[in-house]
Amino acid sequence: MLAVTIFVCMFIPLLILSEFLFIEPFVIFHVVEDRIVSFVLIASISLMSAIVIPMNIYRIRTLQKSRSKIGGSIVGSIIGVSAGICSCGPIGFSIISTFGAVAGTATAFLTNYEIPLRLISLGLLCLVYYTTAKSISIECKVQ
Amino acid sequence: MNKRHVVSVVFVILVIVVAISFSSYQANLLEMHDPTKYAEKIAAKQSPLLNLENGSPALGSESAPVTIVEFGDYQCEACYHWFHNTRDTLIDNYIETGKAKLIFVDLPFIGRDSKIAAQASYCAEDQGKYWEYHETLYIFQEGENSGWADRDRLNSFAFSLDMNMDEFNDCMDSSKYQKRVKANYDEAVKNGVQQTPTFIIISQDGTTEKFAGAQPYSVFAATIEPML
Repeated sequence: MLAVTIFVCMFIPLLILSEFLFIEPFVIFHVVEDRIVSFVLIASISLMSAIVIPMNIYRIRTLQKSRSKIGGSIVGSIIGVSAGICSCGPIGFSIISTFGAVAGTATAFLTNYEIPLRLISLGLLCLVYYTTAKSISIECKVQ
Repeated sequence: MNKRHVVSVVFVILVIVVAISFSSYQANLLEMHDPTKYAEKIAAKQSPLLNLENGSPALGSESAPVTIVEFGDYQCEACYHWFHNTRDTLIDNYIETGKAKLIFVDLPFIGRDSKIAAQASYCAEDQGKYWEYHETLYIFQEGENSGWADRDRLNSFAFSLDMNMDEFNDCMDSSKYQKRVKANYDEAVKNGVQQTPTFIIISQDGTTEKFAGAQPYSVFAATIEPML
């Protein structure tokens, strides 16, 4: 249930921010050919986050383990979410209007390096998944 | 955790989202084509006239009943996607048929190069090449604030369009259209534009429909058809 919630809470807003899902004037879902990679990465990051974060919460609460690995999953998710936030969207517009040229440079970096950043995020989430799964399987073995 | 279960749940959610989106689109389309319902809806959308005197020259017939106003930034990636994926179909079906005209209004906020690119487009207008220059900017767009729209590059675009470079340079050096670009920016902000591209579709009787983002052609068709 938590995984589904995390997935929906990440996937839908990311689709809206990345202009794959529009709400006005009516709800429409639209992926163009040259943005398929971006869409697949968004879906993958949302899915991995939805798997990895609950796994780490389980580790912390049930196995009483340290919280270090959940930091990795959250960092991975944040990178994945931030990458590709278009400067031209409402968030980018607000940030640039408020903070000026410095913000423009930062948002431009996120936009221009969207694919590499999302791939890094996905890699980080996969790594956290692997180490977390390994940790859980070791701790759950009957001694 | 059962991976197959997770994948199945995700797939079901995606199917539900797509189904809801499609049915909502269909419902809105039907509503748009019901004159009574549409008239009630648009009656609530009367808004003050938009000042377009500083915008681009119109693309299409001046007497076209519908006006499509695009607020954009030449460095905007979403504007680039709209330009390459939707604009041509819109031009073929509505602008070249005399049903609508397109006016571009600058909202240059992404960086310094956005403003000078906008000024350059009006310098091109002086030589009757506004739309050619506008299209060149979107065809050759590169990364935001990467320097692709610096003065040298803008000059090269003008040169490639066989423009008079002395006139172009004079126009740019004197910042002739700096105030015009600023006026467009202010007009956009005054009309609540908070992202690019944003579109305001204006019918002949002054009613407007506003939406933002690189929306697909079907949205434009569904909005414009009832206005004709």
